[in-house]
Parts: sequence; structure tokens; C-alpha cells
Amino acid sequence: MKRFTKLALLAAVFAVFTGMCAGAALAKDTLIVANIYDAKTLDPIATNEVATSGMCLHVYDNLLSLGADGAPVPQLAEKYEIIDNLTYKFNLRKGVKFHNGEEMKAADVKYTFERAKSPAGASIRQYVDDINTVEVIDDYTVVFKMKRPFTPFLMALTHTCGSILNKKAVEAAGDNYGMNPVGTGPFKFKSWAKGDRITLERNEEYWGKKPAFKTLVMRAIPEATNRTIELESGAIDIAYQITTNDLKRVQENPKLALMRVVDNSTTYMGLNCSKAPFDNPKVRKAVSLALDTVGIQKAVWRGVGKAPVAPIAPNILYAIKDAKPHVQDVEAAKKLLAEAGVKLPLNVQIWTNERKERIDMATIIQSQLEEVGIKAEIKVLEWGAYLDGLKQKTHDMFILGWVASVPDPEFAVSGVFHSSMVGSTNFSYFVNPDVDKMMEQGKALPNGPEREKLYKDLQEKIDSLTPWVYLHNDEQICGTQKNIKGFQPSPRGYHVLTNVSFE
Amino acid sequence: MGFFCAPAFFEEGWKRMLKYIFRRILSLIPVLIGVTFIVFSLLYLTPGDPARMVLGDQATEEAVTDFRIKEGLDDPFIVQFARYVYKAAFKGDIGRSYVTKRPVSDEILSAFPSTIKLAAFSVIIAICLGIPFGIISAIKQYSLFDSITMFFALVGLSMPVFWLGLLLILLFSVRLGWFPSSGFDTFSAMVLPSVALSAQVIAIVTRMTRSSMLEVIRSDYIRTARAKGQTEGKVIWRHALGNALIPIVTIVGLQFGHLLGGAILTESIFSIPGVGRLMVEAIKMRDYPLVQGGVLYVAVAFSVVNLLVDLLYAFVDPRIKAQYR
Repeated sequence: MKRFTKLALLAAVFAVFTGMCAGAALAKDTLIVANIYDAKTLDPIATNEVATSGMCLHVYDNLLSLGADGAPVPQLAEKYEIIDNLTYKFNLRKGVKFHNGEEMKAADVKYTFERAKSPAGASIRQYVDDINTVEVIDDYTVVFKMKRPFTPFLMALTHTCGSILNKKAVEAAGDNYGMNPVGTGPFKFKSWAKGDRITLERNEEYWGKKPAFKTLVMRAIPEATNRTIELESGAIDIAYQITTNDLKRVQENPKLALMRVVDNSTTYMGLNCSKAPFDNPKVRKAVSLALDTVGIQKAVWRGVGKAPVAPIAPNILYAIKDAKPHVQDVEAAKKLLAEAGVKLPLNVQIWTNERKERIDMATIIQSQLEEVGIKAEIKVLEWGAYLDGLKQKTHDMFILGWVASVPDPEFAVSGVFHSSMVGSTNFSYFVNPDVDKMMEQGKALPNGPEREKLYKDLQEKIDSLTPWVYLHNDEQICGTQKNIKGFQPSPRGYHVLTNVSFE
Repeated sequence: MGFFCAPAFFEEGWKRMLKYIFRRILSLIPVLIGVTFIVFSLLYLTPGDPARMVLGDQATEEAVTDFRIKEGLDDPFIVQFARYVYKAAFKGDIGRSYVTKRPVSDEILSAFPSTIKLAAFSVIIAICLGIPFGIISAIKQYSLFDSITMFFALVGLSMPVFWLGLLLILLFSVRLGWFPSSGFDTFSAMVLPSVALSAQVIAIVTRMTRSSMLEVIRSDYIRTARAKGQTEGKVIWRHALGNALIPIVTIVGLQFGHLLGGAILTESIFSIPGVGRLMVEAIKMRDYPLVQGGVLYVAVAFSVVNLLVDLLYAFVDPRIKAQYR
């Protein structure tokens, strides 16, 4: 008998062990998503990064949200009126409850934007700086007055920084608000295992269309291969940031689906316009002509993304989409260099940070530049040291990326080409009063054919002066289980999960 | 065991022990100040602006300058250092993370459970495998078993942990589907990372056990025990192992203390939110308070483990116990 109980116990332990190994059965009421990083905080203005935005998107609502076609649509604001180029009036939805039971009123909107303009909103100041005042007309009517015409305002409202906060909840939580968010969104915050996963629960009192599933779990899995493995094993439903190496595996797996969209980032090689010989536009043009950017993009990224033809990424308003692809012309490059009187061989440095794709692009660029007599040395720097180094103005060429977090053309260009941003985000030290003027005009013109023409002209002008060689527009690539419906990745880099359902 | 036997000695022994512990804790203070100074200097001299890293590359120059003023980053080195030490020593405040705005102590405490679980499991596996293998290798020196064990120990020592980790994932997660490849919440999720991390520790413990046992087996009192007619089992277990344990305990303690500092590669491969990942991210982002707090934590953890190991000696080896008299 004793031996039998021992065996039975052993068998039971073994069964439990195997059961645990098999992993928890996936409840159809839970959506598990894996992102590359964990969010930093759930306070929408404390930081400007993608993982945080992705979570805030589900806990909060904004006055306006980004519609499927990329234009702002009413969310917490039922309707809005542009009274003049400095004044915007919003009528708020009535009876919207925050997760703590309080009703959303105009006072909360005023509080949200005054807080965004305070030192707490240092990371997103550039999106709200032009707001002068927020007036409460009555409990459900708010009027915004700008300091000067600021056309990107409506688009800026759709950004995470425009998440409407509850004044009571923020003040009560004080410094710990980032871990105790209260919004009006389709999901309520449940728990956060820092660095591992965030769990959200469906908001049963949501004013809009409720999600089809009860629980949303966002896991942080930094290793790309791991995300793919978890997707294949069924442990997660959606994996963000599928890398080039894993593309084929996901595509060829009959149980999985791949979804992709070109995003709002531009990777470029910048030329230091303040340092000879790159202060001469002919020399810059020569560098651009010497390079086969289409070929470089294909070789390094192997089918992911595309080679840009203009500084504004293709899914942003007024991007140039129909220009001809860049053509390499080594003879013309050599001619331009001779015309500019450059003494060959020219010794320069290409700076980049440690991202493998950037080092690969630099290597191909190095060999192509040699054909025209430019000897480039590649210098790889750690990210923090890289940004510091670019401020010293001693670099020749550098590979960097730029993202327009608010997808308005103003934010795609002024940070990198305006003379006032020199040394802060404009590392090509590009200074041109005509370009400055065009950008300032573009910021103030209302959306329409006039603004469109201005940005097209602006991009052509920048192109002719060639402070940048455009290298790559990246793609957002997500893998999902075949039974996931209602998921569409966004060029913003963070994606809406509220409409997802299981087939 | 003899430590507890004599009742008259009991009270005096405890008092001495407590005095010893107190002295050791006091000696931590210069260590912590020294460590803080070194880390502070390194961070000060390293290029990279925390304001720019934390606020992101789209933030305005104004915002960056305001951040630097708010955090006192443009003050002279000695002012910043004195401010930090004063707050830490007298107010128990080691600051807030620049990135998440959470208190540094909270950040480290969140990451600590995963790290200690990983460290503990790895060390337990290492002890369970390493010590027996080491003993048998020592007894059967130069045999086939010994050669094979030493070969595997060499392999375990030389194998990079991320390579081993990926191999384990490939075999046990992808092909066989026995264990998950990431996370650390369930027991089955802890198996692969602990095994991957323990490979080096097993190798070290095996080799140390073997050499320590070999040394002890040659000594006179073992010969005496055998001459007295003791069974070989008792000779090994009671007499040899007890005396061989000191170096083994030392090495296990060192390894455990080292692992408490975080195992960044294992944590990255298996997506474990431990102290290693926390620290590397903090350094990348120039999150000064978190880096400093993290280093302080590692110094304290290591010192505490060393203290426990030293106290353990007394229970293990009667010769050391005698020093307390």
C-alpha cells in the first residue's frame, strides 16, 4: 500500500508539472500582446515614447482621435468649430465617466492642457506651446485660444499628450500618478509587473463601443526571436515589431498572419552644412548622386520599408508620393565635385550609432563614395555619446532617424531644418532663411490646397539644397494569430487594440 | 553543533557574534561612500546628456535646459555629490528615476524578486549537481568519470550564456514545447533561464569541490580515520567533506552575490524583468539616480552575502568557531 501511495503521489506531481509546462490555456476573453519594450509610465505627458503611448491609447480618450484615414475625428468632443485661426471651440460629450466614477467636464480639459504646458510636460512641450489659454464656457464647452496660428493643433490633440485627465485623480495621486492612471478609455488599469507586463480590464461603463474581450495584457519581450517564438507557440495573440529575420517564418506559418504599414520615420544621412566642403550645396548634391540609395535600402533592409524620395514620410499629410525614385549618377557626381573645386581624395567621417542596419548602410555608402574619390571612415558611437558629439559641430556626415510623433508636416520638417533648432535637433546645421520662412508660413496656413502646395515646394527646395541623403522609411510589422480580427497597425508605431475580436 | 552545546558559553558567544555583525555593518559605510563616489565620477565624466535622453529627441532645447536646471546637473561635481550623499544618508532618499519618475527604491524592489529567484535557483541547481559530481570526481580521480566531468565543466565554463540560452529555447521551447521561452511568472518559465545561467556556476562549483576534496583527502586525519577502520562513506561524508566545505562555501557565496547584481544576458534572452536589465537600461538612458541606486544596492547585497558566508563558516568548520572564543 505504501509503495502505491508513493507512486500515486509521484504521478500526481508529474501530472501537475506537465500541466504547468503546457502553460495556461488561453482564455478567449484575454488578448495578450507582446511589444519590444515596457511602457515607462502611464502619465501621458511624462514622456514621448511609443510603448507608453500604446498603453495610454487604451486607458484614456482624447478630445479628437486619429481616424482610419489619418485625419482627426471627434472622440470626447462631440463637435468642434474653428472660429478663427486662433480660436477653437469644443462641445464635450455629456455623461462620460472616468474610471473613478467622476464625470468628465470642461474643467478636466482645462486642467489637462494647463498641466501639459507646465514643467511636468517637458517632453511634449513643442505640441502644446502655442496654446495660449483654455477657457471653460460651461461644463461641456471649452474654448482654446492660440498664441499665433497653429494649424497642427487639431492633429496634436490626437497625440498621447492630449489624453484627458481627471483633475481629482491626478492631484490625489501626486508623484505616483504614473502608476495609478485614471482615464475615460475603453480599458481600466488593473496591474503592472514592471518590466514584464501591464494588465488592463474592460471598462464596463465605457461611453463608446466596448471591447469584445475582457482583459488586455501587454507583455514586454525585448528579444525579437522570442516574440516570434511566443507567437508560434500560441502564448501570445499579437506580436509587434517582427524583424526582417523572422518575416518569412511568420508569413509561411499557416496559423499566423502578417500585417505591415510604412511608418512615420525617416532614416537619413545628414551632411554638416556648417563645415567645409559640405557648406557648398554642389558638394552635397554630389554625395547624393554618388549613392544608390534604392539599392542600399534593398540590400540592408531586405524587403522591409522603402527608400524615401523626400523628407516627409509617405503616410504624413502632404508627403510627396509620386516623385521618381532616386537615381545614382556617378559621372554627374564627379563633375559636381570638380566644379566645386574639391581636392580629391577627400577624407571624411561617417558617424552612426550601434544599430546594425545603420552600420551596414554606412559600410555600403563608404564603398560607393570611394568611387568618386571620397574616403570615408566609419565611426560607431554609443547613443548618448553620439547625441553629445553631434552638438560639437565637428562631424562630416552622420546617420540618424527622425520621427514625426504628431503626423503633421510641420513636425516632420521644422525640428530638423529650422535654423532655430540648430544643435538641438537640426544636426545638419542647415540654415536657410527662405526655408525658415516657408516652414513658418506652413505652420500657420489652414489645411487645404495652399498649404499642400507650400509643403510640396518646401520639400523640393530642401531637396535641391540636399542637407540630407534619404535612406529608409521603416515599416511597422506585426504578427497575429489567424483568428484575430479587427487589428490594423498604424504608422504611428502604436496600435489600436480596442476593435480586436477573436473569430 | 558544538557551538550550542555549552550553556555557559551560549550567551557570551551570541554577544560576540552580534558585536561581530555590527562591526561588519559599520564597515559597509566607507564601502558605500567609496562606491558612490566612483560611480558618480564615472557618470559625470561619461558623455551623454540625461536631459536629452529622457525627454527624447523631439523635445525643445528649452525643455532640455529646464530639466538640467531642475535636477541640478550643471552644478559643480562636489555640490552634486554632497547633495546626493546628504539626502541618501540623512533622509533615506536616493532619488527618483529620471525616466519613470518613480522612487529609485521602488524600481529596484520591483526588479529584485525576479533576480533573487533566478540567482537562488541557479545556485541551488549548481550545488545539487556540482558538489556530488565534484566529490565523485575527487574520489575517482583520473578515472573516466573524472575526465568526462572535467570536460563538461570546461565546456560549461566556456559556453556563453546567451548561446546556451538560445540553444535551450530552440530545443525545449520550439522543438519540444515543454517550457515557455520567456517570462518568469510560472515555475516552468523559470526552468530554462535557471539552467542556462547555472552552467557556469555548476562548472565552477564542480571544479572547486573536486580540488578542495583532493586536498583534504590527502591529509593525515583522513588517513587516521581510515586506519581506525571507519567505513569509506563516513570518511568522505563526515570527515573529508566537512573540512573541504570552506572554499566551496566561499565560491558559492561569491557566485550568488555576483548573480544578485543581475544577469543581463539571461534576462534579455528570456525577458526576465530583473536588476540586470534595469541597470543596463538606466545606463543607456543616463538615468543617474537609478544607476547610482542600483550600484548601491549591488554593493549592499554583495556585502550582506559575504557576511552571511563568513557567519556560515563558523557553523561549518569547528576551527573557525574556535576563533569566536
